[in-house]
Amino acid sequence: MQKTGKFQKIINPVLAYLLFVVLLFPYVIMILTSLKSKEEVYSIPPTILPQHWVFTNFLDIWEKVPLSDYLLNTLIVAGGATVLTLICAIPAAYAMARMKFAGKKFYMYLIMITQMFSPIVLLVGLFREIQWFGLMDSVWGLVLTNAAFNQAFAVWILSGYFSTIPYELEQAAWLDGCTKAQALRKIILPLALPGIITTVIFVFIAAWNEFAVALTFISTEEMKPLTVGIYAFFGMYDVQWQYVFATSLVAIVPVVILFLLIEKYLISGLTAGGVKD
Amino acid sequence: MNLEKIEAGTKLALTNKKKVPKQRKSQLIVPYLWLLPSLILIVVVIIFPIYELFSISFSKISLSGLKKGFIGWGNFSNVLNDPTFPLVLKNTLVWTVGVVGISTLLSLGIASLLNQEFPGRRLVRSALIIPWAVSLIITSVIWKYILDYNYGVFNLILMKLHIIDENIYWLADPSISFPVMIGVGIFVTIPFTSFVILSGLQAIPADLYESASVDGANRWSKFVHITLPLLRQPLTISTVLNTIYVFNSFPIIWSMTKGDPVNQTDTIITYLYKLAFMSQKMGEAAAVSVISFLLLLVFSILYVTIALRREQ
Repeated sequence: MQKTGKFQKIINPVLAYLLFVVLLFPYVIMILTSLKSKEEVYSIPPTILPQHWVFTNFLDIWEKVPLSDYLLNTLIVAGGATVLTLICAIPAAYAMARMKFAGKKFYMYLIMITQMFSPIVLLVGLFREIQWFGLMDSVWGLVLTNAAFNQAFAVWILSGYFSTIPYELEQAAWLDGCTKAQALRKIILPLALPGIITTVIFVFIAAWNEFAVALTFISTEEMKPLTVGIYAFFGMYDVQWQYVFATSLVAIVPVVILFLLIEKYLISGLTAGGVKD
Repeated sequence: MNLEKIEAGTKLALTNKKKVPKQRKSQLIVPYLWLLPSLILIVVVIIFPIYELFSISFSKISLSGLKKGFIGWGNFSNVLNDPTFPLVLKNTLVWTVGVVGISTLLSLGIASLLNQEFPGRRLVRSALIIPWAVSLIITSVIWKYILDYNYGVFNLILMKLHIIDENIYWLADPSISFPVMIGVGIFVTIPFTSFVILSGLQAIPADLYESASVDGANRWSKFVHITLPLLRQPLTISTVLNTIYVFNSFPIIWSMTKGDPVNQTDTIITYLYKLAFMSQKMGEAAAVSVISFLLLLVFSILYVTIALRREQ
């Protein structure tokens, strides 16, 4: 940390509080708008604070659209993608951290290359494949896609964490008669818990927030996740902004809480853990 | 213990392969079994669609989506002859370089700000996380509302502050809407970038600055000669990952202008999406995907080279 001059001592906090206001501004507007009546949302000039606080918007949205379906679909997609990602990534990350084999570099390149693409670049190809699988308009198509596109990140972070765990601990477990899989379960996974939690939360949030694939694959209202569901309030002639934002708040609160929980792991997880061989 | 492993490996390599006992041979495939689930997932969901893309891009595609045989470079020449395509490429470049470049500069300032002690620092740090955690589509939709000509509070606030005399159509004219969307892109890119740079700043030992002060260095020369060189690694990480994310970004432009008017604010990503799922031109969309794929591949080869060099 650098020593700061007197001028800096005053100006720095001011700049930081200004930043604070800018960062929260759109989300405060979102919350305030979600509590307005439709008439007020469409008043000219617009208001900032609601003249009448319409808390019933948060009850109405459950009736106007299949919100409980949206929420359940989002939960299935995020939860399912997280589980599938871990099932595939944990053994792979372990092999990368602990085993020597021909083609290791190749797998590493493959993983790195997959990280370069968003699903959208591959969407035309992916779309046809999901059709062949009969997974169009199903949450499972989204689970599969999200799990695959988060695979690189998960393997990268997890193998970084695994390789920080002393090899001797594992060897001791083998001497006690554990198989490799048992040693992984009993020794490595508990010790790599911070890494696993970071991975879980990141993948969960990424899948929770995903939009483009869901927009393309899902057409039935009851199958939509929250990110696509908010568009139900975009009518031909007007947008029911108060409901869009009430629904958005339902989608935002869980992920913001999760993200704040892992704040201290954010960076060590993203940078330091990842680069080790 | 690493030495033991290496020795065992060398011994194995030196032994004639035919003499390797059966049990040893089965041991050799074990690592691949551990990789198998991950490989299957990647091959099925990512590698196969890449193959499929290339195949579609060289095929004639019927409206119902069936492949009707090889047509060579037809889809590519259609795309390259589309008068809007150069504009789309230019937009993609401006979008990516603009968002990544300005975000990085601003994040350098924000990270050094947050690296200093002041009351409420934790609170500001937590606020910085929110645009990162919230779905991009939701943040973009909020900004679309805020920037609305009649009902948005942005015009209202600017009018009250007497910065503008009359409301502005923020999202109609491409010469205004495109920079505005770059602004939203910067807004959502800053959190990740600032956090990565902040972690780099926190790793710089304070006594480096103290000894530089003793030598009479001013703030600027300390920044150029100590901070920047030591931030090389975090800056590489954030720039590379941001370039990929921002190039691939879809929700901001999709929700705010849909690339309108007439492709004026499209990037290659929204352009290909519209070709595929609104104009139903799958063949041409695949050709655009292949072009994006190649652009990303060139960039990723660059990235892998840098990453590997760092490892050594």
